[in-house]
Amino acid sequence: MHASLLRLIPFGVGIAMLGIWELSVHLTQVPIFVLPPPSAIGDALVDNFATLMGSLWVTLRITALAFFWALVSGLTLAIIFTRARLIEMALYPYVVTLQVTPVVAIAPLILIWVGFDHVDRALVIIAWIVAFFPMLTNAVQGLRSTEPQLHDVMTLAGASWWQRLYYLELPAALPAMLTGAKISGGLALIGAVVAEFVAGSGASTGLAWRIIEAGNRLEIATLFAALALLSALGIALFYALTLLEWLVLRRWHDSFANTK
Amino acid sequence: MTRIRPHSVPHLVPHGPELALSRLGLRYPQRGSEAEVVALRDITASFPAGSFTALVGPSGCGKSSLLRLLAGLLSPTDGEMSAVTQSDIGFVFQEPTLLAWRSVYENVALPLKIANRKLGLSAQEIDTRVSEALALVGLDARAKALPRELSGGMKMRVSLARALAKRPPILLMDEPFAALDELTRFRLDDDLRAIWQQQKPTIIFVTHSVTEAAYLAERALVMRAGTLHAEIKIERPKEERPENDADNFRAAPNFHAACAAISEALAEPSGRAS
Repeated sequence: MHASLLRLIPFGVGIAMLGIWELSVHLTQVPIFVLPPPSAIGDALVDNFATLMGSLWVTLRITALAFFWALVSGLTLAIIFTRARLIEMALYPYVVTLQVTPVVAIAPLILIWVGFDHVDRALVIIAWIVAFFPMLTNAVQGLRSTEPQLHDVMTLAGASWWQRLYYLELPAALPAMLTGAKISGGLALIGAVVAEFVAGSGASTGLAWRIIEAGNRLEIATLFAALALLSALGIALFYALTLLEWLVLRRWHDSFANTK
Repeated sequence: MTRIRPHSVPHLVPHGPELALSRLGLRYPQRGSEAEVVALRDITASFPAGSFTALVGPSGCGKSSLLRLLAGLLSPTDGEMSAVTQSDIGFVFQEPTLLAWRSVYENVALPLKIANRKLGLSAQEIDTRVSEALALVGLDARAKALPRELSGGMKMRVSLARALAKRPPILLMDEPFAALDELTRFRLDDDLRAIWQQQKPTIIFVTHSVTEAAYLAERALVMRAGTLHAEIKIERPKEERPENDADNFRAAPNFHAACAAISEALAEPSGRAS
């Protein structure tokens, strides 16, 4: 079969699933507050379009900010760690502690410390805690895995630490960093949703809050509409980063060797 | 494959200092033991400006360590060696060691760009040097290619061009052609001879191939278990002309005599317990 036709298969599967869903809801007479048909969800999306888009924007903003800070802090810390073993030894256990402690358990504390005046800031911090660790570990691993002989080339050229970082280590670490960014991007969204859930009523107006609100009111179609938007956001984020990876690496990296 | 054109570029390499080593040694502590590993012991040798020396020996005899000492990538623990500035040295590794994300041109230009804080070259001068070096190894047509688009032999040529672009008076080569197929290796050996005859840099060439050592160098230093075991002069016919140098010498009796002498030195029982 033609390659471009193969690419359409996932969409075909999606449409078929929606069709089966629509049909079975009508045939089995499931109450609309248990499982609304796709058509009802579409209606809910249109009816609440302004509210939902506003919420989408709120969640997107929190996710993007958390992701941005995850990239900046992960990369900065990775550079510091790979240059100063002592600092890494001193800080690494606490970074791990921050990572392994369930964020839901820390969230109330952060909301109390920061959230009274700046709810959004608290939400970004919570999402950032979830997102930054993969960026850090992947960047560290990427910076460390540069070939020793390439370092010799740099030494023989008389490179300063900055030149070594700029010409060799950062480009060599790009594949690992992009992998880290892909994971961090997804986690930033999860973190944003968790943060909104914990922040609860009135404090946040993002998509997660719309889901809680719709659930409380048994507006299941609206709940599904918000859920669909969240998924779409996650998918868009993932493929945007995959596209970036392709643009940056396709010319030289082995992982794209067979995809000309 | 493109052959180099030895007469296509002006003189690149200025005459350098003589390299001298006196009772040089390299030891390092062994993990979990009081005893030290002796990598090199009591090495005394000199490398006159413009000479071509092959360092021959079995794996683990310390020839690569010696080369890294000469390059300043390692420091000796004993003895003395003449001070060499790293900008005087061009180093070619066993692997091409190219940066995969930079083009051929950018790879060759990189050491110049990095060292330019000290060199103070204009962008024009850097471009001239890079172009000359690429012409010298016959790769000027592939300047824009990425390393992964090149064959193994071509990548090695880029690596050689990168070392030559610095115009170093001293060229240190660590089994540079060992990973290539024999035909490609013969070709690159010829090219290297031609570059040396034209430019006369000091070349120290590490190899474990007896024939390669005998073919390339003016003399072979045979290493055994961290020491210099023998020095063998390789006589080339007096009437040799650079143009037909490549064709003649592999068939000459002197070549076979040199091979035999090097092989013999490698096979002799070592004076010391190893």
